[in-house]
Amino acid sequence: MGVSRPSVGFGLLGAFLGALLVLFIIGPILRLLLASEPATLVAAAGDPEIRAAIVLTILTASAATALALLLGAPLGYLLARHRFPGRGLLRGLLDLPVVIPHPVAGIALLLFLGRHSPVGGALAAMGLEVVSQVPGIVAAMLFVSAPLVVSGAREAFAAVDPKLERVARTLGDTRWQAFRRITLPLSARGILTGALLGWGRSVSEFGAIVILTYHPKVASVLIFDRFTLAGLPGAVPAATLLLLVALAVFLLLRILEPREDPSR
Amino acid sequence: MIRLEGVSLAAGAFQLTDVSLDVPRGGYALVIGPTGSGKTSLLEAIAGHLAPVAGRILLEGRDVTSLPPEARGVGVVYQSYHLFPHLSVRQNIAYGLRNSVPARPRVEELAAMLGITPLLERSIRGLSGGEQQRVALARALAPRPTVLLLDEPFSAVDPALRRVLRRELQQIREREGVTTLHVTHDVDDALRLGDLVAVLGDGRIAQAGPPDEVFRYPGSAFVADFLGAGTVLRGEIIRTGEPDGLHQRFPARFEAGGLHLEVVADREGSAHAVIRPEDLLVSREPFHDNPRNRLPATVRRVERLGPVANVHLDASGQRLVAAITAATADTLALRPGDAVSIAIKATAVHLI
Repeated sequence: MGVSRPSVGFGLLGAFLGALLVLFIIGPILRLLLASEPATLVAAAGDPEIRAAIVLTILTASAATALALLLGAPLGYLLARHRFPGRGLLRGLLDLPVVIPHPVAGIALLLFLGRHSPVGGALAAMGLEVVSQVPGIVAAMLFVSAPLVVSGAREAFAAVDPKLERVARTLGDTRWQAFRRITLPLSARGILTGALLGWGRSVSEFGAIVILTYHPKVASVLIFDRFTLAGLPGAVPAATLLLLVALAVFLLLRILEPREDPSR
Repeated sequence: MIRLEGVSLAAGAFQLTDVSLDVPRGGYALVIGPTGSGKTSLLEAIAGHLAPVAGRILLEGRDVTSLPPEARGVGVVYQSYHLFPHLSVRQNIAYGLRNSVPARPRVEELAAMLGITPLLERSIRGLSGGEQQRVALARALAPRPTVLLLDEPFSAVDPALRRVLRRELQQIREREGVTTLHVTHDVDDALRLGDLVAVLGDGRIAQAGPPDEVFRYPGSAFVADFLGAGTVLRGEIIRTGEPDGLHQRFPARFEAGGLHLEVVADREGSAHAVIRPEDLLVSREPFHDNPRNRLPATVRRVERLGPVANVHLDASGQRLVAAITAATADTLALRPGDAVSIAIKATAVHLI
């Protein structure tokens, strides 16, 4: 077994380093979960402001994710299946929101969607006020989460062999039928995973939202608000509740997902 | 019936030019060529996944050149089968069955024919290569296509199974009466399966015809080389006598370097000579019969291939291959460096 000994040592070192990182991630989460007495949490859950903020966060994050899917999944398909001029540039552009500091994204969105900008003016003329309204929250969430949804869809579509669609076509399917019967079922899981990441990204957004729509407050804004006004004791119960809600949704979706990837 | 009329294809860097081919109804054509010769593109064009830049494609007399794949009535079996991973075996086979065909009896008929009835409710994961191949074939045949296209269907299975699958394919094809076009780089497939062989090379059909004829009389050095027809020599034809009145063929000498062969030719000048391994006789004693070329040669190596052995020889600086039976190989006990006599009939030197 002399041969395998160096690789055992190598594996142990990797496990040790990885364990440090996992502890660093789990530690704060556990600390926060255990920071409040259950009674305090129940009281916080009864706080209408906290409840409203959490409900608003979930609804706006879901709306942003739905929009990102509607607009982004077809784009993911195009990027995965077709070679066209500017494809590389487009992929780079789509990753841009990931590297822009979020307050910067918020300011850019404010300039783009404000009442005095052409786009914001046009939207206002159609009766859609964005800035300082709920649509502003959705816009900020869409901006920061769209790259995750698009790249999730792109990778999911790219993993489906185009020859499967060709076989389906020769078996009598139109392009659309082949997509619906073959490509979509095989990529659904990857697309959903991307959407789930996008949803989580939206729930966690603060920097862009606080600039675009401070009020009505989403949970992250409310928690920051309470932290500045009342310090940790004011912020912790709301923070713990938001964490629990986010964890619950992630857990629920992980359970609902099929265990095994049928395409593997 | 498959008819290709002057079909030209362009895909990326490669091109296929002016391909014409006729496969009669119920016929079995093999398109054979080296990797990258455009075989698969030709198949994709017939299936409707690649539009020709010129020419027409007719299936059962119907011009399908501009029809989408779903309107052509072709079945395709790809090299790696491409079964639908999210569907069961039964669902895979039934995939192409629309309302017009009662799905259940048809699926069961094909499954019985191919011996995969016990697999019907299984997921396609965990199927062996041979099982996947049978499912792919059943799926392609289920909607009763007029044309069956096979893309290297045996390349992913071991040789023993390949023989079984070839036999099954022949039987089921005959029962279904479907016109078949099969692309392969495997010369064995071509010899055993097709009633028509087309050799692709250099972006066009180099030669097409019944397999025996193409193998016996390759029309170019490329075809001869690719089919492994034996020795291909490059040289010069020099007339040595008068033509006979009937065929305008005349006695001549073929010179390839220091190697001179008596041949029967219909033209002069530079040419290739193809000598099939079984037409080249090898002996330790000198030959005495008259009408043959008799030459001294040196053994380079002996390659045993089951019931036959290929003897690689050097004669006047040219490399030749002779096929002898395994028994003869034992009797002669040839070793590299041995001096031998070789003989070949003038009429067995095929000039191209």
